[in-house]
Amino acid sequence: MENINYISVSFDDEIPLLEAVGKLKESNEKILDVLTPFPVHGLDRALSMKRSRIPLIGFIFGAFGAIVGFGFQTWVFTINYPLVFGGKPFFSAPSFIPITFECTVLFAALGMVSAMLIKSKLKPDSKFIPFDENITNDKFIILISAEDVESARNRIKLTLSGINIIAIK
Amino acid sequence: MDEQFIFRKQFRQVLAIVIVVGIIGSLGAIFFSKPGSSRIWASILLNNQFFLGIALGSAFFLAVHRIAWSGWHTVLERIPESMTTFIPVAFLLMLLVYFGMDKIYHWSHSSGQDAILEGKKAWLNIPFFFLRLVLYFAGWIFLIRMMKKNSNLLMNSGDLKYHNRRKLYAGLFLVFYAVTVSASSWDWIMSIDAHWYSTIFGWYVFIGMFVTSLAFIILLIWFLKRIGHLVYIRTDHVHDLSTLLFAFSIFWAYLWFSQYLLIWYSHIPEETTYFLQRKENFRIIFFVNLGLNFVVPFFGLIRLKSKRQLGVAALVAAFVLIGHWIDYYQMIMPGAVGESARIGILEICMTISYAGLFIYIIFNSLASRPLVNKNDPFLEESLNYES
Repeated sequence: MENINYISVSFDDEIPLLEAVGKLKESNEKILDVLTPFPVHGLDRALSMKRSRIPLIGFIFGAFGAIVGFGFQTWVFTINYPLVFGGKPFFSAPSFIPITFECTVLFAALGMVSAMLIKSKLKPDSKFIPFDENITNDKFIILISAEDVESARNRIKLTLSGINIIAIK
Repeated sequence: MDEQFIFRKQFRQVLAIVIVVGIIGSLGAIFFSKPGSSRIWASILLNNQFFLGIALGSAFFLAVHRIAWSGWHTVLERIPESMTTFIPVAFLLMLLVYFGMDKIYHWSHSSGQDAILEGKKAWLNIPFFFLRLVLYFAGWIFLIRMMKKNSNLLMNSGDLKYHNRRKLYAGLFLVFYAVTVSASSWDWIMSIDAHWYSTIFGWYVFIGMFVTSLAFIILLIWFLKRIGHLVYIRTDHVHDLSTLLFAFSIFWAYLWFSQYLLIWYSHIPEETTYFLQRKENFRIIFFVNLGLNFVVPFFGLIRLKSKRQLGVAALVAAFVLIGHWIDYYQMIMPGAVGESARIGILEICMTISYAGLFIYIIFNSLASRPLVNKNDPFLEESLNYES
């Protein structure tokens, strides 16, 4: 992604941003990414993004964690190291539930976070590409891919005329 | 925005027939199958508690949303507001329990030989029991009435001071309710097994109330939308209601398990008798309770799609309502009736007549005012709400 040609359009507020996203979509520009200082309601719909698959990953990892937690305790307390606690049988399921629950939460959380990091290319060795000096600031930025930057800039300026833009780079 | 629900004559007649059929059915069951007076009184108590719980849960729903400055619920707030109008009726029905005290509560006629009951006598005696009952209801009715009155004043005048006053009463209600919901559940349900106690019991009953009221709100919205009302309640509002139902069903299971695990683990005979009786003599009820109140809403509403479909949410809500009726059943019946308890014609007919009365009162209240408070400061936010 380092040698990519792109144009960044920055805004002061979310309302012109959403308007601009709509107009760019209409004129079939290819939006690479939208960077905002806080989550903007309705942005994913305006970008017509597909629904995130994070919940499914969470469910799979959670179910896996539940099985691991319950299975490990069952193995430890019935086969590996059977001990009598409070006169209860070796396999006493109610006492396994709290740890099973914790394992579910732990696996689901770690699974979702690592899936998100991998999917959004935030692995420890990934390089930071500064698309625009304002992306870590309080500005709202749309990145648009363009073959020919000069002509695209003029085209986009025309498309977004009437919307409150800070800069097009 | 001045949409009005009209309580048509057919509805009135259908509900009146339902009530009458329920009453005739339960009277018939009393005369022909001779169920024993403790079963009759216990099922009156059960239905009082179940429907009062729905009404109180909806008052809690309103109060907690108002005090948190919530905007999303404004378009549907008339529904819980009308559900609270059942509370004065529940007060009268609860007073009926006076005549069945000795059939339900064994502490009410103890001979003075029982050391445990003697120790609890300062709290568990008949005059104080009814004094508390009157106090709970007086507080609930007064605070809910004030919330509703300020809502009406806000609707008629548009003056925001009524909104703030309504919020003040919501806060007062929450404080009062937090204490009284625990105390009332000790009084009316936990004292059936007067030797037994559980410190989490008040919470457990309270969450049951909130879940049933959420389920009932969803069912009412489903019904009102079917007959063409409430077009501005969109999938976004349904989504939030089902998320609440989903979350609090899980929380109910958490509390159920917290109570069960500690009693199971510590293995103190005085505590384990409670679960022993339910697991031995009420085995099916015991597991159906967990299935309907936890497994069904958990797997039924876990997907986003099912949360956003009113039909699916209403189906799950109906299961949850039945589940919580069964939950109250397993809290009340084993102690009050014992092994002869069963869900027969008496219980079903009595629940039907109570449900008819409850819905009649709600519809009556819904028809008395427009379905949306047009001067509510959060109305605009609620109409444009996205979840």
